[in-house]
Amino acid sequence: MFSIKRAKDGHILLVGRLDAAQVDRARNYFRSVTESCTLDFTDLDYISSAGLGFLLGTQKRLSESGHKLKLVNMNKYIRDIFRIAGFDNIFDIE
Amino acid sequence: MEKNFKREISALDEIFSFVDDFVTESRIDDAVAFSIRLAVEELFTNFVRHNTGGLDHIAISLKRDSNQLLIQLKDFQVEPFDMTKVKSVDVDLPLEKRKAGELGIHLVKSIVDKLSYEYSKRTLCVTAIKNLEEQDV
Repeated sequence: MFSIKRAKDGHILLVGRLDAAQVDRARNYFRSVTESCTLDFTDLDYISSAGLGFLLGTQKRLSESGHKLKLVNMNKYIRDIFRIAGFDNIFDIE
Repeated sequence: MEKNFKREISALDEIFSFVDDFVTESRIDDAVAFSIRLAVEELFTNFVRHNTGGLDHIAISLKRDSNQLLIQLKDFQVEPFDMTKVKSVDVDLPLEKRKAGELGIHLVKSIVDKLSYEYSKRTLCVTAIKNLEEQDV
């Protein structure tokens, strides 16, 4: 399953599995995100191309107004997927 | 292990449970388990989105033979569509030129050792093979 939480520090926490069946939940949540923000991947176990596509679209939309996503605390498997997709060049990853 | 799943994206929860059972039974490590989940999801969603016609289910088979994992999906009564021939993705393009499409097959090709396609008697079969290192199991 997948869920999204807002932390006290303003970071957005992605939790669980961001797959093709869950990506609409993420899209709905991020419609209201219009400025730069940090996504915390600490509790995100898995992501597929559907989740990557959603992040790409959000990054494109935010970049049009000079904003961007920052991604933190990725596990090594998700980090590998970002590298294979070439997403390590288009996201600020810590 | 082999099981049929409804031809719909919402079947993914059940598919992940199926993969989890296989991973546990076959004592496969976390890194390879991640690759299996990803390959199965990408191939299944590609079938659902692109295969034309088809019965109401898609068959998924997972098998471990000594040092190899075999992931096989079969779609019945469909038109031919060879996903292994989709053009490669340029992952070096800048943000404004990147597109999400076709990324799924790019990921699968990158994480497995062999991806093959067969089409016979209106049945489409895609097989992914991942070689296991000693430390993977």
